[in-house]
Amino acid sequence: MTFKSGLAGKVAIVTGGSRGIGRSIVETLAGEGVNVTFFYKGNEAAAAEVVAAVMAAGGQATAMQVDVSDAAACAAAVGSIGNRCERIDILINNAGIVRDNLMAAMEDDEISSVLNTNVFGVFNVARPVIPYMMSQRAGRIVNLSSVAGIKAGRGQANYAASKGAVDALTRAMAVELAPRKILVNAVAPGVIETEMSQQVRDLAADEVKGNILLKRYGAAQDIANAVVFLVSDMAGYITGQILYVDGGFKMG
Amino acid sequence: MAEAVISKEEIMAVFPTVQKTMADALGCDVDDIQLDVSLIEGLDAESIDFLDMVFRLERAFKIKVPRGKIIEDVRGDMPVTEFEENGILTEKGLARLREYLSEIDASRFKTPMRVDHIARLYTPETFCKLVIRAQRESQAAG
Repeated sequence: MTFKSGLAGKVAIVTGGSRGIGRSIVETLAGEGVNVTFFYKGNEAAAAEVVAAVMAAGGQATAMQVDVSDAAACAAAVGSIGNRCERIDILINNAGIVRDNLMAAMEDDEISSVLNTNVFGVFNVARPVIPYMMSQRAGRIVNLSSVAGIKAGRGQANYAASKGAVDALTRAMAVELAPRKILVNAVAPGVIETEMSQQVRDLAADEVKGNILLKRYGAAQDIANAVVFLVSDMAGYITGQILYVDGGFKMG
Repeated sequence: MAEAVISKEEIMAVFPTVQKTMADALGCDVDDIQLDVSLIEGLDAESIDFLDMVFRLERAFKIKVPRGKIIEDVRGDMPVTEFEENGILTEKGLARLREYLSEIDASRFKTPMRVDHIARLYTPETFCKLVIRAQRESQAAG
């Protein structure tokens, strides 16, 4: 049996697509023939680089500057994509930030900014996307969670809370949207070699790797592979699940 | 100011599109969508179906229909406390509802009427009128 993604010609939105895991998801989806629009918050140069790389590889990608914590901006962006493409088949809620600190020392902004991006961002983008998928009676949504949602480290209370919320939200969305054949799952990465985890990897490299059964950090491509599997034809009986892609993290 | 009457001609002008849109949303035959059929009791419409219907109508007619628009328009300028008590329509609220949903047979307005049961009264004609009102508002706004 050969892997048949069935994704050619589909229309996808990826949030936080200009760097790291998001970039890898954009490039992998585009490589499967998906017409990808990705949101980025501020790094226009990085976004342009992603578009150029996708186009050079023969794919289709559009970059839109959208802050996912801004509900009105998300609705407007989704509306413009819906008008341009006339359908939305796939939504990948990847945009996320970290603001690590010991909880007792956390500033209000460190708490609210993480929750606004990581949790409200999912609501803000999914809410205007869902009607398109409902009308199509088909859709795939993948929310990016994290091992931190169940196995948080020190200084991650805000991030852990946000990813625990994403897990619960994923299950609730799966229940609500199943009648319209919209499958909703989450991918929970372990420690991945991206800018976001740089500080953790620098500060506690040996301790972190010691906690991973496969004794290596994950690559952004490892996560993209899991995401693309979940939105492919090969995952048509999977919904409401959290897929941990973490090399066996904290299992020993 | 009293609302301008919606004529039968206006309703029949939009009904074919409303009919097809609703059939697509509910996954039923176009012929099942008659003007006076109850969407919930006659066609088993659920809340997710109403969401889909309104979304499709917005795109088909290029209108915007805020959530809860029908009940908001029924209440109009009447204070909430005069309109309902503990989720049950007052006499004044029920009178407003009967006036607004003039297309609904009087026998279907049971008392006490729960606010969250109002949607059980809706028919395709209710949504034809919703579309016409939205079009009028859009034209008035220029």
